[in-house]
Amino acid sequence: MLRYTVRRIILTIPVILGILVISFMLTRLSGDPTDLILPPDAPDSAREAFRRVNGLDQPLISQFFTFAINIFRGDFGNSLRFHEPALSLVMERMGATLELAIAAMTIAILVGIPTGVVAAYMRNTPVDISVRGVSLLGQAMPSFYLGILSIIIFAVWLRWFPSGGRGTWLHLVLPATTLSFQLVALIARVTRSCMLDVLGQDYIRTARAKGLSERRVVWLHALRNAFIPVLTVIGLQVGFLLGGVIVTETVFSWPGVGRLAVQAIYARDFPVVQTVVFLFAMIFVIVNLIVDLLYAAIDPRIGYR
Amino acid sequence: MIRSLLKRTATAALLSTSLLSAGAVGAETITIAQNFDPQTLWPNGTTASDNLNAGSAIVESLFWQNPATGGIEPLLATAVEMVSPTEALLTLREGVSFTNGEPMNADAVVHSTEIFMDEEQTPAYARVSDLFGTVEKIDDLTVRITLTDTYPAFMLALSQISVVPPAYWEEVGLEAYGQNPIGTGPFVFESWVRDDRLIMSANANYWGETPAGITELVWRPVPEDTARLAGLQTGEFQIVKDLPVSSIPVLENESSITLVTVPSYRIYQIGLASQEQYESPLQDVAVRQALNYAIDSQLIIDALFFGRAIPLNGQVLREPQPGFNTDLDDYGYDPDRARAMLAEAGYPDGFEIDFKCPSGRYAQDREVCEAVAGMLADVGVTANLILLEPGEFLRQLRTMELAPMYYVGLAPQDDPGFQASQYLSDWRYSPIANGDMDALITAGATEADPEARAQIYRDLMALMHEQAPIVFLYGGVDIYGTDARLTGFQPRGDGRMFFYNVALAE
Repeated sequence: MLRYTVRRIILTIPVILGILVISFMLTRLSGDPTDLILPPDAPDSAREAFRRVNGLDQPLISQFFTFAINIFRGDFGNSLRFHEPALSLVMERMGATLELAIAAMTIAILVGIPTGVVAAYMRNTPVDISVRGVSLLGQAMPSFYLGILSIIIFAVWLRWFPSGGRGTWLHLVLPATTLSFQLVALIARVTRSCMLDVLGQDYIRTARAKGLSERRVVWLHALRNAFIPVLTVIGLQVGFLLGGVIVTETVFSWPGVGRLAVQAIYARDFPVVQTVVFLFAMIFVIVNLIVDLLYAAIDPRIGYR
Repeated sequence: MIRSLLKRTATAALLSTSLLSAGAVGAETITIAQNFDPQTLWPNGTTASDNLNAGSAIVESLFWQNPATGGIEPLLATAVEMVSPTEALLTLREGVSFTNGEPMNADAVVHSTEIFMDEEQTPAYARVSDLFGTVEKIDDLTVRITLTDTYPAFMLALSQISVVPPAYWEEVGLEAYGQNPIGTGPFVFESWVRDDRLIMSANANYWGETPAGITELVWRPVPEDTARLAGLQTGEFQIVKDLPVSSIPVLENESSITLVTVPSYRIYQIGLASQEQYESPLQDVAVRQALNYAIDSQLIIDALFFGRAIPLNGQVLREPQPGFNTDLDDYGYDPDRARAMLAEAGYPDGFEIDFKCPSGRYAQDREVCEAVAGMLADVGVTANLILLEPGEFLRQLRTMELAPMYYVGLAPQDDPGFQASQYLSDWRYSPIANGDMDALITAGATEADPEARAQIYRDLMALMHEQAPIVFLYGGVDIYGTDARLTGFQPRGDGRMFFYNVALAE
């Protein structure tokens, strides 16, 4: 187990190096930030001064080595717009993003799994059909549209929740449910199909035959066996969730990393974009590592040598 | 490093929670929703209006251009005497202190002007400070500025010099100053949770009058148009900047909200590049004029902007500006005449041309371009619409890769000289090279006599109208929504809003 864990961690190193190169190259390919940060009628001397001050006049290769070496010292460079360390800007907002992502994931799991189990158990009944219909809708509807719709309904018409911003739990409701909507749908669908598989297995018949209550059969014996694919989906969806916060945070004025990233991309604020990409990629890698390790905890047949 | 980051993260989280759990904002708090969170509160740090609006509530300039009168009025300086066309003596306001106790005097103004003149520190203002030569203290309340040439827009430049306290500036530096500024303004910095809320309280010792009924300003960045509109409707925001055009019919009938529409400084046009290097039918002036007849700008104004955008009267200067030529009018929509002129110019079947357009930079940009392409098709001109991401669009504007035909909205500083110089032959994104126009633009840039200068620009506008280096489309409009109890709120055409003369009724 320990050797497996260590090997998995070592394997992430080339992934991280790849991320560094790609995030550096992609941001540079998008063009020169001077065009966006200075007004279009700024004189050439001012443009040169800006490029010199921010190191943009250096050859690309030397910019890359400066960037890569500094990262190992924990220095991701200074934001071109804020003139502050990019890492501080991102970390300052990380709490808000994690709050939103965790809330959305919690809702998705607490709603998605039971819904999927019930739908599978009541297969082809009106309950199942409506769950499938709503899930399809949930997966198909873009989150910015859902977000705007929920602002109009719940903030403007009903006045139940604030239209945006961060603060009390009331501020969290609309963005978290919006962000979780697609996830709920996906988790419910995957849980349903896995449960259908499991419910037809011999050991379920055995469990019933030995007189266990139906509740115990479904929620303990069946769900535990159906859970591994669901867990995989949840792990993979962390990536979706991190992508989703970008849209949701913008719609709901949520002061998180996603919104910072959007603005940094539009302004070509290279250091901030690189930091966000790097940290998000790290989170994704770590969560997937945890999911792999969790398999063993859930399914004792899986062993790691 | 890590520890300090964690601490910072935790503080930000705690602060944002405690601010809100303190309850809803009080009756005397004004919450302002803009598109973006400021990057810096030092007004000379950028030219972005969202930054300047927040920053200048704290840090004041020497003068300000009052949108209600259009005039440049005293703030920290009370008078300017032009000793010669290139030498100015500024008289400063007596008895003003920064909120940290430092005196606002000639030392502070000299220090701030030197920063303003330094391209490394204020690259965004380099064009405005270009003609500044030296600045020196005469006595505590008098400063001499010498210019390298006559500078008709000198007062406009003075209205942009933000005065900072020298000792505090030296202590904290440019970057930290922008995060926790100290100034002389009607408001004082309180706290700032990035991307969430920036709080300022009224300056009890302000030298002038603080806005009646307002004790606190809260600035909220709300990037989504619908969310800004929603917050205005629910009463969460008392001032909302940059409302979408589509909000006009929604808000017109709400009695608790005042809709404020402001003619923007931004002039929308279709560049018709005619220089030698951009080979196309547009090199023929008759073709450029024909395209002006082919486009129904009034229909664009009515259909896409609910009639709120401003007709240009066939020129790039706006009505209140010196040099606006009242003899000129829009070309007017006349597709038959356009077809006839094209035929006469040797294009009886029209021609095909690339037409570049930004997508997502200006309000309705894509829709306007599609409408223009449709109207051109009516007279036989096939415009191949090429949509560009805003950043790439700006790059191509700078290098003039947009040529020969492109849609752009240009918003230079509010002086005819800045507007005109964009059509100078050697200007990097000028669509035209015309010696007669150049002569007028150069003459206007250094003419000290206001009436003679206005005449130069009137002549320039007439010549430009005839030369048609652009299709004259429309002047933009900025839309704000405010709480109906707010009085005296008058934003400026460059997206700037001020709190001088503003009050909140009971």
